[in-house]
Amino acid sequence: MAMTLQQAKVLVIDDFQGMRTMLRNIARDMGVAQADTAGNGREAIQQLRQGNYDVVICDYNLGPGPNGQQVLEEARHDRLIGVSTIWIMVTAEKTSDMVMGAAEVKPDDYVLKPINHAMLESRLTKLIARKNSLHGIETAIKARDYAAAIAQCDEQLKAQPAAPQELLRVKSDLLLTTGAYAAAKAVFEAVLATRNVPWARTGLGKVLFYNREFGAAKAVFQQVLADNRMYMEASDWLVKTLEAQGEFEQAQEVLLDAVKLSPNSSARQKTLGDVAYRNGALDVAQSAFEKTIKITEHSARKNPAVFAGLAKVFSDKNEPEGALKVLDQSRKTFKDNAEAALQIALAESVVYKGMGQADKAQAALAGAEEAMKAMGGKVHHETQLEMAKSLFKLGEKDRASQMLQDIVKNNHENADISRQVQAIFESQGLGEEGQVLIQKSRDEVVGINNQGVTLAKTGDFEGGIKLLRQALEQMPNSETVMMNLCGLLLGSMNRSGKDGALAEEARALLERVRELNPDNKKRQDYVTALERIVSN
Amino acid sequence: MANDEINFTDFIASSIHDMKNSLNIQVSSLETIALECRDRGDHETFEKLGLMIYEANRMNANLIQLLSLYKFGQSTYPMDIAEHVVLDVIEEAMLQNKTLMDFKGLQVSVDCDPDCSWYLDRDLVTGILVNALNNAYKYTDKKIRVVAQVVNHMLELRVEDDGRGYPPNMLYDGAVTAPKGVNFSSGSTGLGFHFASRAAAMHKSGQGQGTLTIENGGRFGGGCFVVRLP
Repeated sequence: MAMTLQQAKVLVIDDFQGMRTMLRNIARDMGVAQADTAGNGREAIQQLRQGNYDVVICDYNLGPGPNGQQVLEEARHDRLIGVSTIWIMVTAEKTSDMVMGAAEVKPDDYVLKPINHAMLESRLTKLIARKNSLHGIETAIKARDYAAAIAQCDEQLKAQPAAPQELLRVKSDLLLTTGAYAAAKAVFEAVLATRNVPWARTGLGKVLFYNREFGAAKAVFQQVLADNRMYMEASDWLVKTLEAQGEFEQAQEVLLDAVKLSPNSSARQKTLGDVAYRNGALDVAQSAFEKTIKITEHSARKNPAVFAGLAKVFSDKNEPEGALKVLDQSRKTFKDNAEAALQIALAESVVYKGMGQADKAQAALAGAEEAMKAMGGKVHHETQLEMAKSLFKLGEKDRASQMLQDIVKNNHENADISRQVQAIFESQGLGEEGQVLIQKSRDEVVGINNQGVTLAKTGDFEGGIKLLRQALEQMPNSETVMMNLCGLLLGSMNRSGKDGALAEEARALLERVRELNPDNKKRQDYVTALERIVSN
Repeated sequence: MANDEINFTDFIASSIHDMKNSLNIQVSSLETIALECRDRGDHETFEKLGLMIYEANRMNANLIQLLSLYKFGQSTYPMDIAEHVVLDVIEEAMLQNKTLMDFKGLQVSVDCDPDCSWYLDRDLVTGILVNALNNAYKYTDKKIRVVAQVVNHMLELRVEDDGRGYPPNMLYDGAVTAPKGVNFSSGSTGLGFHFASRAAAMHKSGQGQGTLTIENGGRFGGGCFVVRLP
């Protein structure tokens, strides 16, 4: 719906009384429908919870407590603001954290002080116009209907003589998301033909990365960084590429450089902690995890895995008291969070084992296993990998190996996870055995899938469905099995007409796939097919 | 030592944040008072306030320029080259000085194709233009003209005034690359020129690098401040 400035409900967030009053007065002078104020981050969150604001004007620096970026993150995370809300960040100086994609959640615009009425009104008017024109695309993206979003981009691009870069950028992002790498590459190359802009150059690197041409991707990201030292997105992708190549020492160097330039990204600090821990650089890992915890203290991005990581660093440094203290802190921070409870228990088992307290270690592990069962199939694979590591550490070799095989079966097409599993086997001196087990697990899944699909091809949908249902019981997290089963259910209904129970089963599978991997490329097609069958 | 430098940047940044808040409120209040004066016909006070606002704006511009130059030197300025509608950038710079121009009753005209867009760092180019307009404000008689056009694959931004023009010693080769030293009698540190020249040069592309030149002439025969961006 198109909005005008006069209809807007505005919230001004600033810790400085004088600025707050000034900004509110400016908003009132513009004739907005309503102008409220908040003096700090917590107050702001309260206000956002209660009111439906169209425009938020927020100072980046809010004194003690959360800063403007953290308020924005929490507001987005808790859905206190919608895609149509305009968020303007006010700042005294431009910093890379605000501009260069350091933040995962970005404001619609930032304005540098000083601010006056004329300038703010002009910015807002333009932002509202832009928001109105992108509204359809953003709604489609939010509904994860990427095909529709791309179609709308094309429509708007056709209507404009000079393609605006923002639209091209949105479109290329969508193409990457849907796996249309060749089309994305064409967009990037067209932009680069007229101008060497870092986002398009970085985009080319991403295409290479997705096509698994890591060497070439690495060279591209390094070139972008040589031209623009502060372009953090390229740095993050360079790290991803180095990790994919197994170059963890290099990845750590790049990350250390990046956090020097832009220290306030929690995701980047956590990655540094993980990579450094893997490299055995315990001091670096400790500092990175501690910084991550500090940055996210007031934020919705708090992550129990970081606490668990820090606890393990302390444990490896032979400082078990420190480790237990961190886990205690985690328990207090994440009350009623099943995933956190599981991670705490896992880390505890490792810490107690290091202290030579086998009983307590076993008890913690038993607690972890129980928590995992209670969560059903919804345990993140990272946590499952941690579980396997703990089992090995406690001498439970068979159970650990079984766990790893299950992880591979549930994610048999994910090369990255297979590589991590292999690394765990290797760290136990079981490299060769691991390789065989991984291959066997993969073959098993592929075999069952093929068998099911073959049965369906010969017309025996029932047989195929039955087989894949059994497979799913053993591999409750396998996206591939779910999608194939769903395909057979749809095929069966296509042939024999719609069936309430089958439709419901298919819908539940698609919902589960969406939870596991919102970007699954076939899912949207199946959703559409299911709708068509049901509405017939 | 790197740590000390980072802390020093933080320190400068937070101090500047504080100073800018104060200046922002000061200017905003002065503008309100000034308008009240004008409305009740007190033109003498109105004009005095105009001078105060001018000086406060100058102080603010200096703060931004100092911080930016510091960051250029450290290679930590977050360059953000993106496509912008040039007219939008010019209008934004003019809006920052609008009250000022109104005070002096200056006519500022803009000559720019509304469809013209260019790749630039919005904040830097706005800063350059604000600086140029501030300068022109000081030396012009009645008219200022901002022109944007694409010449030889470069975006040319000109700020022309109808004042007496730049003194000959400033114009020896046109290109401004370094501050000409501090001139205490005129109060000019050359900071503005130095900033504008460095900020223009931060714009690089395959076709070249941004430049700043000053010359006399233009449509009004006064000073011309010319920035070219690749």
